[in-house]
Amino acid sequence: MLRLEKVCKTYQTSEVETLALDNVSLEIGAGEFVAIMGPSGCGKSTLLNVLGLLDSPTSGVYDFFGEDVAGYPEKRLTQLRRDRIGFVFQSFNLIDDLTVAENVEVALIYRGVPGAERKRRVREALDRVGVSHRAGHRPQQLSGGQQQRVAVARALVSEPKLILADEPTGNLDTTNGEAVMAMLSQAAKSGVTVVMVTHSLTHAAAAQRTIKLLDGRVVSETLLAA
Amino acid sequence: MFRSYLAAALRNLERNGFYAAVTVAGLAIGFAAAILIGLYVRHEMTYDQFIPGHDRIFVMNIKGVGTDGKPLDIDATSTNLADDLKLDFPQIQYTARVAGGSFPPAVRRGDVSVSERGFVWVDPDFFKIMTLPAVAGDPGTALEAPDALVLTRTAARKYFGRDAPIGGVLQVDGDPMRVAAVIEDLPSNTSLAGDVFGPSSAPFSAIKQISGGGYLNNVVVTYVRLKPGVSAASVQAAMPSFVARRIMPTFAEVAPELRQSRASLSLKPLTAIHLQPSQGGDQKPGTDVKVLGGIAVIGVLIVIVAAINFVTLMTARAARRAVEVGVRKAVGAERKDLIVQFMGEALVYVALALVLGVALAELVLPGVNAALQRKMAFDYLTDPALLVAMIGVAAATGILAGLYPALVLSSFRPSSVLKGGPITGGGGGRVRQALVVAQFAVLITLVLSTVTIYRQTVFALKDATHTNKDGVVMLFASPCTDGLRDAIAALPGVRAAACSSPAAINMSSTDDLVAANGKKVIVSWAPVDFGFFDIYGIRPVAGRLFQSNRPGDDGAGLTDAAPPIVLNESAVRSLGFASPQAAIGRLVNWHFRPNLSLKAISAPEPPLKPSEVIGVVPDFTFGSVRRPIQGGFFYVGPKTDWFASVALNIKLDPSRMPQTLVAIDRVFKRVSGGQPVLRLFVDQLLLLQYLDTVIQGAFIAVCAAVAVSIACLGLFALSAYTAERRTKEIGIRKAMGASSSDILRLLLWQFTRPVLLANLIAWPVGYAVMNWWLRGFAYHVDPSLLTFVAAALAAVLIALVTVSVQSVLVARAKPVTALRYE
Ligand SMILES: Nc1ncnc2c1ncn2[C@@H]1O[C@H](COP(=O)(O)OP(=O)(O)O)[C@@H](O)[C@H]1O
Ligand SMILES: [Mg+2]
Repeated sequence: MLRLEKVCKTYQTSEVETLALDNVSLEIGAGEFVAIMGPSGCGKSTLLNVLGLLDSPTSGVYDFFGEDVAGYPEKRLTQLRRDRIGFVFQSFNLIDDLTVAENVEVALIYRGVPGAERKRRVREALDRVGVSHRAGHRPQQLSGGQQQRVAVARALVSEPKLILADEPTGNLDTTNGEAVMAMLSQAAKSGVTVVMVTHSLTHAAAAQRTIKLLDGRVVSETLLAA
Repeated sequence: MFRSYLAAALRNLERNGFYAAVTVAGLAIGFAAAILIGLYVRHEMTYDQFIPGHDRIFVMNIKGVGTDGKPLDIDATSTNLADDLKLDFPQIQYTARVAGGSFPPAVRRGDVSVSERGFVWVDPDFFKIMTLPAVAGDPGTALEAPDALVLTRTAARKYFGRDAPIGGVLQVDGDPMRVAAVIEDLPSNTSLAGDVFGPSSAPFSAIKQISGGGYLNNVVVTYVRLKPGVSAASVQAAMPSFVARRIMPTFAEVAPELRQSRASLSLKPLTAIHLQPSQGGDQKPGTDVKVLGGIAVIGVLIVIVAAINFVTLMTARAARRAVEVGVRKAVGAERKDLIVQFMGEALVYVALALVLGVALAELVLPGVNAALQRKMAFDYLTDPALLVAMIGVAAATGILAGLYPALVLSSFRPSSVLKGGPITGGGGGRVRQALVVAQFAVLITLVLSTVTIYRQTVFALKDATHTNKDGVVMLFASPCTDGLRDAIAALPGVRAAACSSPAAINMSSTDDLVAANGKKVIVSWAPVDFGFFDIYGIRPVAGRLFQSNRPGDDGAGLTDAAPPIVLNESAVRSLGFASPQAAIGRLVNWHFRPNLSLKAISAPEPPLKPSEVIGVVPDFTFGSVRRPIQGGFFYVGPKTDWFASVALNIKLDPSRMPQTLVAIDRVFKRVSGGQPVLRLFVDQLLLLQYLDTVIQGAFIAVCAAVAVSIACLGLFALSAYTAERRTKEIGIRKAMGASSSDILRLLLWQFTRPVLLANLIAWPVGYAVMNWWLRGFAYHVDPSLLTFVAAALAAVLIALVTVSVQSVLVARAKPVTALRYE
């Protein structure tokens, strides 16, 4: 369960103050699949970063699975992130120097999963997204679609309660986009909360609810029939 | 096109201010250090080359094996060698003998009275051999008069306050002598020493006093100058027959056993004296070629370390210039164009570094000169060889260090670069790692060497001499008498005082072919005073020491026998006694001189007389531990002149030293009839003997510190760069749940690993180098494991401290900041 109450986020850059999130209040239930839409620069990534504990709000309350995380030290936030959250980014964000398998493994290393089990789960996750035959390759040797599948595998492998995906299909062609969407839907069905930023109405349609942002404010929430 | 390249280079320098500054600063420091080391090495290798005709000047050297089996190598000869050489070798133009190491005479003019340690007695032809530049008079003929003196400019100013006091009179030990010529001060790269030169023909000259005694006493340095066109080899070839004809027959009469001591006489080039120091005769401490070679290698290593910095930083920054490369290639630049561009850039950096390095070298040269006691000049503008060497080294560095980054940078494919794809040039990371490993291997080896040199120096000064010199001063007197001793011993701050001969404190050496235990062996002998051993904390290992209350210990009343003696342990061995205990009560027959003096030593040898061994002491020395301690014995002798009794050894009460020293000087002035005070702490005296080691050790330590700081500079920049390059990765890891400490560990380990690897190389190399160096000492420390562990830890620590600032900053950054860097 995620609940934001009057959350503001301002960025202070030399003399210009940007209000990236303006009194955002919203609630996302466990196991919900939510899409976030809005024009570029409206604050979608900022919202996702706040939800993902990568960034803290300037003001307001963030109730993260029953904990008010405002003012939590970085160390505690790191722990929560490690235990509950998986990320998928538009630009994949794979580590160039590591192999595909090692990139997925990174999500488990900091959770203290023992080596043998790590290997097994990484193999399973790669199997699920269909790139296990590329396990030993470097990210740069893969196509964009394959890279994003690896990123999804990395998000899934730790069995998080919450997956945050920032324009996961933005850099992909239709076929690959569909495949990634299918994987996220599958995750949502198994009970994981999924929050996804997208510009595609078709992809948004896969979610149960769409939240529209404009200039840092929530302008509408559309509940779609499941 | 060239201007476009230059603009890119300068703008790149400007844009990457921090990295560029580090790169250039590291190189500049490296160049400055290399220049200073180069100057020093050249200085040491050009000794005496300023003397006109130096290739025809030689010093007579004796090599051989003593009867005790120990090697002998001295630049000293007997006083009569010079004349015999002139008789037998028409190829020789001039010969001249120099007597150093005698007691410094008191030189007085008006109120100035000095114990002149720069006083040297020479034969008149000395300045015909050494045609040194004159300030006034003709040095070549000046010393023909027996009361003439030649001064250096500094000595002239010291005594007369002007440069050309021709005809001025100085009292030398009370006898008037006239200044006949003044020469320029000697440069520092000469093996010659002296400020005041007196002629051997003076009736009281040291050479005159020690003349006679045939070929037995090697007490003077003999220089020869060959006639023009004569080859040294032809003279050398005739030396064995000269030795057989002139020298061996004189031995046959007095000591047939000496014929076994396979001695050979050779001409050693004047210019070789400094780098081939012998065991005796040299007027100034020489430089060990091994150490000099080591210093030269360090100079090269420093440049390499700085160049490695250059390479790592250049390639590390390659990624940032990938787009530039992509664009240039897209618009048609060929790979070789880019190579030229990046090489050109490297040369710009290097040129900048050279200018800064030269300025830095000029800035610190005076300090280096003072520390090394040299007068090195850095006149690169009037010294084409130096200029060419500097520019050559810089250019070679620029080309070698620029080539690799240029190859890496120019290899980027425009397609992948412009798409924002990967830009890790082929294996660049691995090469960089290897370079960092190499750099640290050099550093660890340097640290190991420095620590070992330090340990050996401390050992040489403290332990290896086997004496306790704390709070002991030597007061030099000509001679040291009982009266002086008793007057000083009566002072409240003085615990004990005892005279000793110069031989006892290794200022000179006297030896004899003795017969004992059915063997005939050369051992040294030295008169001492009662209580001498106690002052230095030397305890007998068998038997007893001399006691003033035991009649006969000073030989008084003995007619058929010589006084009792105390052996050192080496003598016990070379005389073939089973143990120190076994030697007690045995007899040693030797040529005992009842009235020992400098004059008496040149008289015909007296008959053998037996001495009873009453005690054995451990080996000890006041000389250099580079030489093995000789077998020798001590006896309580007369105090006729400085040759028999030269130094008063005084053990002070540590709590009241300053007052006591003042009191000692006062008593000395009263008792000794106006002799100037010459007084030294014994550890100072020893330090003088090890000055070369100490100075070189300090020099190497400084060089090592320079190399370490250059490498740290590079490592710091590299860590900053790496942290920057890895921000994306760090962001991802943090998003995946890595904590700051996980990241910190990751970054620190990345820099610790190459240092640990470097140890694998540095340990065996360091061990081999140190073993080799230490073998040059007869008594030395062993390389200790602790040193190695300490050097390794130090290197890891240095690396960690250097990179931790950057790493902590990056590790603590919020992951969003990192991820936005895209
Ligand atoms: N670190 C930052 N510093 C300053 N301004 C920022 C920062 N991150 C985002 N912004 C600004 O906040 C606003 C929202 O950004 P973002 O959340 O990235 O938008 P988007 O909806 O496109 O993901 C934009 O105006 C952006 O310029
Ligand atoms: Mg965005």
